[in-house]
Amino acid sequence: MSHKYSFLKFSRQSSKGVIVIYGDMLIKILKQTWVLFLIFVSRISQISEIQSFYMYLGIFSIFIFTLIRAYLSYRNFKFKINNNHFVLEKGIIKKTNISIAFDRIQNINFKQNLIQQFINVYGVSIETAGSNKTEITIKALSHHKALALKELISISNISNEIVDEKEKPLLNINTRELLKVSLTENHFRSLFLFLALIVGFFQQIEQVFESFGKKEYINEYLNKSTEVVLGSIILIILVFLCLLFISIFSSFVGVFLRHFNLFLFVRKDAFEINQGLLTKKSIVLKKQKVQSITVSSNPFKRWVGISYVVFKQALSGKMKNKKDKAIKIIGCKHDQVNLIKSHLFDSGQIDTSQKHYTDSYFKIRLLFQCSFILLVINSSNFLIFNNFDVLYINSLLIPLCYFLIHKKNKKTFYKISSNLLLVGKGLVDTHHTYFQLFKVQNITTKQTIFQERRDVVDLILQTASGKIRIPCIPSKNATEIYNHILFNVETSEQPWM
Amino acid sequence: MINSFQNKIITELPDIAKIDFKNINRNYLKIILINVLLLFISLSIGLFFLIDKKLVNKIPAYIPLIYSAFFLIFILIFIFIIVGFPKRKYALRDKDISYKSGVLTKTITTVPFSRIQHVEIDQGPISRFFGLSCLTVFTAGDSSHDLEIKGITNEQAIQIKEFISTTINES
Repeated sequence: MSHKYSFLKFSRQSSKGVIVIYGDMLIKILKQTWVLFLIFVSRISQISEIQSFYMYLGIFSIFIFTLIRAYLSYRNFKFKINNNHFVLEKGIIKKTNISIAFDRIQNINFKQNLIQQFINVYGVSIETAGSNKTEITIKALSHHKALALKELISISNISNEIVDEKEKPLLNINTRELLKVSLTENHFRSLFLFLALIVGFFQQIEQVFESFGKKEYINEYLNKSTEVVLGSIILIILVFLCLLFISIFSSFVGVFLRHFNLFLFVRKDAFEINQGLLTKKSIVLKKQKVQSITVSSNPFKRWVGISYVVFKQALSGKMKNKKDKAIKIIGCKHDQVNLIKSHLFDSGQIDTSQKHYTDSYFKIRLLFQCSFILLVINSSNFLIFNNFDVLYINSLLIPLCYFLIHKKNKKTFYKISSNLLLVGKGLVDTHHTYFQLFKVQNITTKQTIFQERRDVVDLILQTASGKIRIPCIPSKNATEIYNHILFNVETSEQPWM
Repeated sequence: MINSFQNKIITELPDIAKIDFKNINRNYLKIILINVLLLFISLSIGLFFLIDKKLVNKIPAYIPLIYSAFFLIFILIFIFIIVGFPKRKYALRDKDISYKSGVLTKTITTVPFSRIQHVEIDQGPISRFFGLSCLTVFTAGDSSHDLEIKGITNEQAIQIKEFISTTINES
């Protein structure tokens, strides 16, 4: 392997990378100013020639200035690998020097968007548990350097045997299976994501109009159009069908964009995940850094026999976008899930151990919570419409609530073996979280006075990737688990990350 | 659970249900009460001015009601604190530290030493007068749910901190 690049000296990004950096900067500027730009275009007839000349000059100078900035930031961006540390120097005016030890790296992502694919360079981001932002982002790394880096970091002591094994992936999702996955997605969620996107779009427009003092105008427009919509039932049905179509369509687009051509490789101490349609992504995930995995599925997915696996890693502090750091693998079949599990931990005992369900108090508590919510809904409905007829909606809501509670109660369980805990939860979806007992950070039991009468407690396990809660189990069992986990943590010699 | 493991737990590790928890320093009750009293005084001044300037002409009939609700809430808070105070207990073992508290919701938290990231000792102005401090233990992950022992003497806090750091460094 003499051809491999060694990163011993400081090197820059690929010289073609200036284009990528330039593009990124322009997109950033465009994102912040597109509404202003629209206004400018729509008023172009009202602007005198001399004014528009200055406008064009301004835009032109922004382009030139950004180009200079991109070039300087390329010149000042240097990195090397020095005794198992990744060292990065960057900054035009404010110089930054970052150094990250290899064994602290949680995962490395290799990305290729359209521009990067066109000029054949890779974007690399390196993440640790240290901060909620990505520590190191390299925008354009040439192909051979990217490959060398991937091997250097992920499989530091690699043998040739494993390189051969790389050829056959553990999991490969083709287009047909991807179709299956996207059909069985949770379409409600995709609809919400889509609506959130639209709302964000409108808010941005509104903000700009507000600064121009024209907020009433846009509100009036919105009010008028909502009145028209509410006026007609046919329109409502149409809108409903439209929304249904949009939600299915957006889950299709989402799944295809993100997970197209998914490959999962298993290396000696890491997983490698390749996926993406327009932006190709490759993630190297160290096995040891995985805190817990969740195997999830919903009724449709179960019907076609697939589920998805989410890897959770250590987080730092309070994170808003926890979901971003979770790494998801879609469309796993049952034996593939088992293979992934067996690569992470010894899961033999857990499958045979006994399934413990929650105490009946859990259901009672859910019923109470649900009836409180129903009470709030009913009273607010009554106050708004001032009409007893709206209360008929309960004939639909109450059975639905009861059904959901029943489902939730049935899906909440735990299994424990000498080294592993499996916690099941879910409402419509089913989530099974597996984690190794020695990776627990701290344990809490909670008991309200109502629970005390029934002698049950909630057990909360804090891991580096978040809380795991086992609700309403008999205190005797809880104490046993408590002691068992403490024993595991305090006698384990393995590093938890 | 497998039987052999249960045996191990009993022989090597004392049961969490059987450890004797220590009470926190009694002076800490005074500190909490002083703090609540200060809050009470400042809020009642604010409430008085609010009613005197704004509400007195608009809703005169409700004013005694507002005052009595305000006092009732604070009396309840005082009772709650006094009842809850003896429930705040902590325990230190060879390999972990535990804390329990709560009247309506009882919680027990245990942090093994091997998972501790760092330990912090805080001391507010009133606590300094009484010579008390607050010991906080941080673990990885979501930092909002760590262990916090308020109201132990400063010497105790430093002792525990030293104990934890020596145990961490040994292993």
